[in-house]
Amino acid sequence: MAAPSTLRIAWRNLGRNRKRSLLALSAIAIGQFAFLAVAALMNGYGDDFLNSVTGPLVGHIQVHPHEWRDERSIDLVMNDVDAMLAEIRSDPDVAHASARIYAPVLAALTEDGFMSVVVGIDPEAETHDSGLLPAGTPRGSLGDGSVLVGRGFARRYDIVPGMELAVVGQDVDGSIASGLFTVADSVASSVEIVNNLGIVMTLDDARDLLAMSEDAHEIVIHVRNSDVIDDTVSRLSAAPTLAELEVLPWREVVPQIVAMIGMIDAFLMIILGVVFIAAAAGIANTMLMSTFERTHEFGMLLSLGCGPGRLARMITVEAVILGLVGVGIGSALGLVFLLVTSQTGLDYAALGGGDTYEVAFKGLQMATLVHPRLYVSDVAAGVVAVFLTSLLSVIWPIVRIVRLEPMEAMRT
Amino acid sequence: MNDVLVDVRDVRKDFHVGKITVNALRGLDLEVRKGDFLAIVGPSGSGKTTLLNLIGALDVATGGAVSVFGQDLSALSRRRRAHLRLMSLGFVFQAYNLVPVLTALENVEFVLELQGAGGERRETAMSVLDELSLGELSSRRPNELSGGQQQRVAVARAVAAKPRLVLADEPTANLDSENAEALLRMMRALRDEHDMTFIFSTHDPLVMSYASRVVTLRDGKVISDEQKNSGPDEHRRVN
Repeated sequence: MAAPSTLRIAWRNLGRNRKRSLLALSAIAIGQFAFLAVAALMNGYGDDFLNSVTGPLVGHIQVHPHEWRDERSIDLVMNDVDAMLAEIRSDPDVAHASARIYAPVLAALTEDGFMSVVVGIDPEAETHDSGLLPAGTPRGSLGDGSVLVGRGFARRYDIVPGMELAVVGQDVDGSIASGLFTVADSVASSVEIVNNLGIVMTLDDARDLLAMSEDAHEIVIHVRNSDVIDDTVSRLSAAPTLAELEVLPWREVVPQIVAMIGMIDAFLMIILGVVFIAAAAGIANTMLMSTFERTHEFGMLLSLGCGPGRLARMITVEAVILGLVGVGIGSALGLVFLLVTSQTGLDYAALGGGDTYEVAFKGLQMATLVHPRLYVSDVAAGVVAVFLTSLLSVIWPIVRIVRLEPMEAMRT
Repeated sequence: MNDVLVDVRDVRKDFHVGKITVNALRGLDLEVRKGDFLAIVGPSGSGKTTLLNLIGALDVATGGAVSVFGQDLSALSRRRRAHLRLMSLGFVFQAYNLVPVLTALENVEFVLELQGAGGERRETAMSVLDELSLGELSSRRPNELSGGQQQRVAVARAVAAKPRLVLADEPTANLDSENAEALLRMMRALRDEHDMTFIFSTHDPLVMSYASRVVTLRDGKVISDEQKNSGPDEHRRVN
């Protein structure tokens, strides 16, 4: 704990050359603000991205036949899916489990056909926040030949509710599969295949179309807490009904996305590094100039009997105050940025003069509209980085002070 | 013999400036006794400040021995010398040398804090300022004080912890005669009331007139040591 006068002297010394102190404070504050702003944007993107991945697209855990991920062949099905679902749902950590069927088809409204994908789902099992049809999603009268189509898909082909959609594909036996379905509504989804190509129908309708019995291509599982994913995977892998199947945590299902999330973290670390360097340059420059200018004063203090350790503490406290005030201002600016943008979101496209649009990456829809988000850990990372920088930046001045002889310093 | 606070024996001090060696002190002997109000005088380069620095444990002699309060300074580590300065010596510098960001009161209090004084240090510092008629200046920073006021605050800082020995290097050099005389009266009163010993290095005849003893140096040696009989009420102004 610094003595009262150490704090007092350190604080007041910052006011001796206000321009220099303000310059250093600005460098630190801008660095912290830049870090927080970028972190907020990246978090906004990353969290939406991650929620979509572990939400409707992949879930926390997936079950499917071993070759399914590579081949996506329609006949690679899991049999007796109801028994599997019953066993999976009996696990205490499983919150939701739903079977899905995917089949590429040609769809047509009139004479022209277009590429589409039949997505067979259990509407009841998908009606949760992380499902394909979360509460509030318009579903019309799904089932008995009534289907939903993806919002992008509907927009592209001018499909409106009530239209009839002819679907032609291949069933599990290799024969022609065909059916006529009525569009109940369109559905917006963060899952690209649903949004842009999807004809969403009940499992029963899909099974009828594709000549399947109680089969499905995939089971998507959500656990109650993401910390228990790996344990749940281990338990389910040992379950008798799933013994011949692949039970994978989401990270293994979409390694590219994991790599992208890792890249976001790496990017944030680079920005943090920039903050670190800006703060170090600002504080080190200020402290070096300040200590060189005050050599005579240090000599006087040493003459009075003040120990070098006390002087070192004085300089350190000064640097830490400078750093923390700077990082405090930067954090406040970052929080203001968050307050202003987190509700309305920040639209990159609008900033560039265009309209909001969505792009797809690895099966996910990503919008140009991002809602910035900050965590305490982001603010803390900047504070800790600047605090450490403050300590590092005074090493040289302290080494110099410790070597000072009172009389030599007084002659300066 | 117990009255001897400072004992300087055959002290030499050399400075090296490039390839040239400057012999600042050349076998100097001096005893300073308790209660002395001693002025060390001599022309520039005679070794006054060098001698004061050696007695103040701010520098180390090249040869000979400097003993302060019976302690051989050459045997003390850097840390012990700093401790001696802090706890037993008071310093007054030519250029005041107050901490610019502290008020007069805080400057005085600072030394007490360095010494480890407890919660009463502010009251002690204030009482010293009051004693030296500086109470009304207590909240002013050095840049709000005249040269004379700054030097009086510097004296207050030097004597706040009641050191046995106060070393003052050209304390009146930057003061007009009125302020210089006020300062000397103040230090003389402190010597009398608190049993302190003062050593000055000076060119100022006024300081010599107040001194109880005048030691003259030339070329790093004592050439005269004059004990004066003037009491505190017998000062005379030297013009």
